[in-house]
Order: sequence, then C-alpha cells, then structure tokens
Amino acid sequence: MISDLFYAILGVCFLFCMTMLLIRSLHIFQLNSYKPAVQRKWVADNIFEWLIKTVWVVLALPAAKELGSFGFVFAAAPFLLVGLLWLPKKAKKPLVYTGRVKRLIFTLALICLACVLIGALEAGSRAKICIVMVFIALAAPYAVLAANFINRPVEKAINNRFINDAKRIIRDMPGLIVIGVTGSYGKTSVKFILGKLLTAGYETLVTPESYNTTLGVVRTVRERLRATHEIFICEMGARNPGDIREICDIVKPRCGVITSIGPQHLESFGTIENVIKTKFELADALPGDGVLFYNADNAYAAGRRVENAATVGYGTENGDWRASEISASARGTEFTVTGPDGVRMRLSTRLLGRHNVLNITGAVAAAVYLGVPVSDISAQVRRLDPVLHRLQLLGAPPRLIIDDAFNSNPEGAGAALETLSMFEGLHILVTPGMVELGKRQYELNRVFGEQAARVCDFVALVGEKQTQPILDGLRLAGFPEASVRVCDTLEEAIAAADAFRQGTPRVILLENDLPDNY
Amino acid sequence: MKIKLGVFFGGRSVEHEVSVITGIQAINNLDRGKYDPVPIYMARDGAFWTGEAAGKIEEYSDIPSLLKKCVRVVPVGREGRADLVLYPPKRFGKNIYDTLDAALPAVHGTNVEDGALQGFFRTIGLPFAGCDVEASALGMDKYAMKILFAAGGLPVLPGVKLRARDFAADPETMLDEIKGKTGWPAIIKPFDMGSSVGIRIAENREEARDALEYAFSFSPAAVAERAIINLREINCAVLGDADEARASECEEPVSSGMILSYEDKYVSGGKDGASKGMTGLKRLLPAPIPPEMREKARALAVEAFKALDCAGVARIDFLLDSDSGELYINEINTIPGSLAFYLWQPLGLSYSELLDEMVRLALKRERERDERSFSIDTGILKHYSGQGSKGSKR
Repeated sequence: MISDLFYAILGVCFLFCMTMLLIRSLHIFQLNSYKPAVQRKWVADNIFEWLIKTVWVVLALPAAKELGSFGFVFAAAPFLLVGLLWLPKKAKKPLVYTGRVKRLIFTLALICLACVLIGALEAGSRAKICIVMVFIALAAPYAVLAANFINRPVEKAINNRFINDAKRIIRDMPGLIVIGVTGSYGKTSVKFILGKLLTAGYETLVTPESYNTTLGVVRTVRERLRATHEIFICEMGARNPGDIREICDIVKPRCGVITSIGPQHLESFGTIENVIKTKFELADALPGDGVLFYNADNAYAAGRRVENAATVGYGTENGDWRASEISASARGTEFTVTGPDGVRMRLSTRLLGRHNVLNITGAVAAAVYLGVPVSDISAQVRRLDPVLHRLQLLGAPPRLIIDDAFNSNPEGAGAALETLSMFEGLHILVTPGMVELGKRQYELNRVFGEQAARVCDFVALVGEKQTQPILDGLRLAGFPEASVRVCDTLEEAIAAADAFRQGTPRVILLENDLPDNY
Repeated sequence: MKIKLGVFFGGRSVEHEVSVITGIQAINNLDRGKYDPVPIYMARDGAFWTGEAAGKIEEYSDIPSLLKKCVRVVPVGREGRADLVLYPPKRFGKNIYDTLDAALPAVHGTNVEDGALQGFFRTIGLPFAGCDVEASALGMDKYAMKILFAAGGLPVLPGVKLRARDFAADPETMLDEIKGKTGWPAIIKPFDMGSSVGIRIAENREEARDALEYAFSFSPAAVAERAIINLREINCAVLGDADEARASECEEPVSSGMILSYEDKYVSGGKDGASKGMTGLKRLLPAPIPPEMREKARALAVEAFKALDCAGVARIDFLLDSDSGELYINEINTIPGSLAFYLWQPLGLSYSELLDEMVRLALKRERERDERSFSIDTGILKHYSGQGSKGSKR
C-alpha cells in the first residue's frame, strides 16, 4: 500500500539520520574516554551547536500529524536533511571501531530498528512512532549513554574474561620475574630507566607509554608478553584504594619499587594516609623472598614498616644505595653511587635533574639485585635517552639550552631551576609562566619568580599580562630590574637572553611552552 | 607459554639430506617444556614447507608424498617475530599458519650455511641461533678463513687460491704454482664446499690436473695445500659468542682412506645401514691424544672461534702431523653435523641443554642489536628535490 511505501521512506531516512548522528555521538564518547560524566558535560558545553544542526527534525511532527499517511514522506525530509548536515567530516583523531564501539553500535541499531519495525508492523502507531523518532534524534548523545548502560553487564563480563586471560598467561610463565613500579610521581621515568638497565642481561618487557591501569596492564600482558620474556616491569597507577592490589592480583609481582609518595589525586584518595596505604599494597603483595626498593629520601615511603619482604632503600641523603658527588655539565649529569658490600660506581648520564639521579639510583639498586654486571649498568646509564622537552639538554658550550617545554607543574618548575643552578656559567630563564593552576595561579607563579631570583642572572618573560606574577615575585626577592626583560614573543625573549652579557658562557632554561590558545 | 622455535633444514645445497637428519635430531631433543618446535623443511627449489609430517624422519623417504601432507609458507617479519604466511594464500580464513619467536638453522653447505639463510633472518628481524652473516660467510670460504687465522697468529698450512678461469686459460702455470708453493703431495679442495665434497689428494702433477678438474666441477675456485703424509684428524667444538666461549671434548674421526670422504661421513651407518649423520661415523671419543695436546687443541679452537666472531656452536677441524707433532687448523664448520652434540655429552652437557644455550645466545644477540641505533634523522629526504644529477651522497 502507498502509505506503507511512504512509511518505509520515512524509516530509511530516519535510519540514515540516526546513523550520522550516532556515529558522531559515539566518536565524541570515545574521545571522552567512555565517561558518562564527561559526555554530559560535553553536551552541556556544546548544546547550541548540536541543536542548530539537529532541531530541524521537529518539523517531521507537523508533517506526520497534518498530512496523514502522505505526511510520512514529508516527515522523511527533515531527517534526510539533518542526516546530510551530520555527514562525517575528516577528523584529526577519527573514530576507532573497537570491539566496544561495535557492541554499542549493535545496541543502538537494535533500538532504532525496533522503533522503525514497530511502526512497520502496526500502522496505527505510526504517528506516535514518529514522535519517538524525533525524540531519539534530538537525544542522540544520551542515546549513546543509554546503550552504554545497557551494555554494562556485557562489558564487565568481557573485561573479566580479559583479566582472567591475563592471569592465565602469567600463571603459564612461572619463570617470569615481575617487578611492580608505583609512586605518586616518577614511576614512568623509573620504569623506563630500569627497563634500559635490565635489557643488558634479560629479555625485558615494560608496560608501554603510561599504561598503568588494570585494563592497560591486562592489555600489555595479553598483547605484548611473549614466551621469550624473562622480566616484566609493570607500572601500577592508582586513583582509589584497592587499585594497586587489583593489578598485583593479576601479575603477582616478585619485586616492587616505590618511587615517591605525595599529595596527588587527593580528590579520590581523601587523605595522605590512604595514598600511603594504597602504594604499599604493592609491598603487601610481594612474596617472602621478594624485595621492595623504596625512595628513602621520601618521608612517607621510608616511614612505613614492611614485614613480609626484604626492603632496600635508595636516595641522595638516606638509603642503602646512595647517590653523591652530583655535578652537571654540557655532557649531562655525573654522580657516584655507593651500595652495600662496598659497591661503588661513577655514572654518567645525559639526563638532567636531581630527581633523575634519584630515579637512576633506584633502578641501579634493582639491577644489581637482579645480577646485571656493574660494567653493563654503567654502559646502559650512559645510553639513557632524555625525554623530548623534559629537561632536555641541547646546544653546546658556550651556549647550552635546557628545554623543559613540557613541564606543566610548579614542582617541576622548581626542580628545573635547581637543575639550572648545578651548571657553570650564566643562569638565564626564559618563560611564559604557568597556566591552568586555578585559584593558585597568581601565587604559584609569584613563588616561581622568587625561586628564580635566587638562581638566575637574567630572566626573559614572554607575555606581559600572564607573567606579571613572576615579575612581582622577582621584585619581591630584590632581583635587579636591569636583569629582567618582558617580551611579546619567544623569539624576542631568546634574543634578549643571547644579548645579555654577550661573550660569557651561559645556560638558558626554557621553562613551559604555552598551548596555542593562549 | 612456550617459545615457538622454527627449526630450518634442507635447502638448495649439496648437503641437503644430511641437514634433514641434523634438523630432525635437534627437534627430537628440544625440551618440550620450554619450546614448541616448528619443523620447516626447505625444499631443493628453495620453498619453505611445514606441518606435523615435516618433523618425522620416516616421511623423508618419499619427499613428494611428504610435501602433499605439508603446507607451503613464507616467513614474514613482524615486530621481532616471524609469521608463517600460507602460500598461496587462502581466500577465506586465517592465512597465518603460526608465528615464530626464533629460528634454529640446521642447514649445511653452500646457499644455506654461508650466510644466505642468516641474512634472510636478519632482514626480516627474526632472532636466529648460530653464527651471524659475516662469520657464516667467512666460515664457508676455506681461503679467507686461512688468511684470517694466519693473521691472528693461529697455525694453518700455507695454501694458495686457484681460479677455474685461470685453469682453463693456462693449466701448466697453475700446476707450476702448486708445485712451487705447496709441493707434492698436495690436497686440492673446492674453496666453499662443506663435508669433504670434491676433495682429492694429488701425489704428482698429473693427479693434480685431475684433482683440479674435479674440484672446479663443484666450484669456481679451489684451494691447494701441502698434504700431510701421516695425518690424523682432531675435531673440537666451541659453544658461546664473542663474550663467553668454551671448548668441548676432542674427537678423532676415523676414515677408510687417506682422508674422510663424504661416504665415510654420512653413508657409513650402523648395522642396519640407516644413516645416522655424524653420530654414525666411526669415531674415537675422546681422541687418544696426550693431555697437553688436548688442551692445546681446545685453546686453539676457542681462539679460532673468536677470530671469526662466531656464535652458537661451531666445530673446528684440526690436522695433526704425526711425524712432526704439529697441530694445524684445517677449517671451521659454523653449523656442524648434528650440531656436534656428541662432543658435549662427555662434558656433561646434554643435547637439550646445548640447544637451550644456543637459543639464549640468539636472543641475547638480537637484544644487543636492538640497543644500537640504526637511524639518524638527517632530513635529506625532506630536502631532496630529485633534480640534481649528482645524487646526494658525497
């Protein structure tokens, strides 16, 4: 019948429109890391743009109501129009069709198809179905959340299957030595440094990039662990108590490294005591013949007793393994490491910063315990590559540059100044200041200025308005006006830095690089 | 999880059949608790075949029938492992038959032991046991080996390299050269064949002429050396790499004629006539030599191994002049028959442990290779306009 044909046309256009809308909503959901709260916030922030392109579907309602069965053809037109408006554009980070996305598509397809089919079978309900169609189209981003909610039991079951698979793989490799690395900061650095040292003697797997959640670890075990691996260094991150225990249950670590404990993620932890308790879940999981390596300079890490396994401390002031005689030069940092039984080595690395000396010392302690010869350790420390734009040493004497563009926090900035002070020659700071510090932005930048005054001979600030707090800090500390320049661009600032007392050897610290929208 | 070890044997070589024995013996001795061996038979045309039947020695009495039970694959490198991709590929279904973690080359002779197969693994990035490309190539060239050993102060017999082309052009000058440099009797051998193929001893000029014809039928070049009259042969194996190498027990292989022939080495078997490879050869193990001679041979073996930068297990063959008591290095075999496992058993190292060690060394070498950086971003491709006629390499 004709009205069936017209309804079929409406159905097709609706499905076309929904496909476009839902692909986009799914894409957003994926970019929001599948977090409902973030998705809701995104909708709130972007409601205007969303409605401008979508609201036209409401025109389907009068068309359906007024024009009877003919109306369905005219109701199809708004859906077609909106679908065309939402044709996918080339995106920088396109939608990845993972298993989870495909399962969401399945559920969403069911919802839309069910809707169309009911109308197909029951001619009388078609007008009501049209209303439902309009509603779904307008609420597409929320439809994705509904599908996510419906899929939750399935996702949980799949995750459990992956977790059990990872446990099985670890059980199937009884000779594998697993080393857990955790800490409030420094764990990614220590993980990579330790990996480099151990690879001199063992087939070593390290969790990639910053995969430190349960699912990230599970994925690493399932996709990257091979029969040939002898050591698995597993970075363990935590936001809530129990997070680390969950990872330890899967990988069963034999050794652990606690790099630091500090007031991070207090929104989810609550108190520092919870942070300590959670990090030490790693120590709790170690077997009787296991060893915990911990940062003895960090009061929280050093203060906790461990009964179930041996402990080895490392640090620059405390610990069984001690770093001393630290000096920096164009070649990087040199320092001496002393350990139990009279072990002593003079190490040289291209990495900068006291924290890196500490990190390397901890890794050395673990490497020696695992039997890597001292000569190999020394060679590997030399080979350590600095991370791009994190205290990266560039240039050559008489003009050295410390590129710390990727630092984004006040502790890091302070540490960078301390590193600068270790060098010979003029100490010059070039910075646009730190941003996204919320209520404390003024205060922290001013403190940064005060710290800089104690270390620097010359400071070039980029951007008058945002570096005002730093200037205030410099003035408060009595820094001479003649040694400060406020510039508009980075190029100007560097030129000023080069012009200051030309001819004298210098080290220029580039602290922070601002994102383009500032 | 077990290590998937591809054992490669066969190939386009004169020693194809011996290699099958070496390969299957190795597979039967791998620790099944640690390894999952994958037998990969390289047919005479160079194709790679695999399948359960490829690991059974009895199947090799009828190779065409064996191939029907196998699948043809092409090893493709991926992230430091190798996928065995079906060839020709199936239209539907999985085309990856299996994935190897490492390779054990159990091949002998030209085109396989000389670095060709090793180069293939290195190109696809699969870790492999035994000598690397350079040592494999040198270990196959009797003359280059000799020069390297001599340069390292190791005792070798003086020899001369002869080319088939020169022989064809002017045989008399060549025969004069041999008479002058080595005298009679002379031993004449193809410069790059293994397992005593093509070797003849010449007592005089005419015999030398025949011997040269024979040798050049196998190879474009030959080596002539003074032949020791009262000759004894002593073999010793070495296991390890440039950092750590140790010597095995010494053996004295026993021959039917003046020198060990191909027949001696591989056809003389047990009472049932079945060929057992080097294990079937009559041998005196340990070699009946005085202890000082034994230690001297073992020490020289390790030096020879290191001089060529070998890895894995290699067998060094010595010539012992009974008259003078002098020991000379004859040659090195970078992939010895049966991987010389029988030379290690007297020292308490089982075949299984020997194979374990070879795989460990293979993984170690690949790790060290990964540590070296092979690319420097010079940016020349970004700036190359393609219009210059001189190219970009100064």
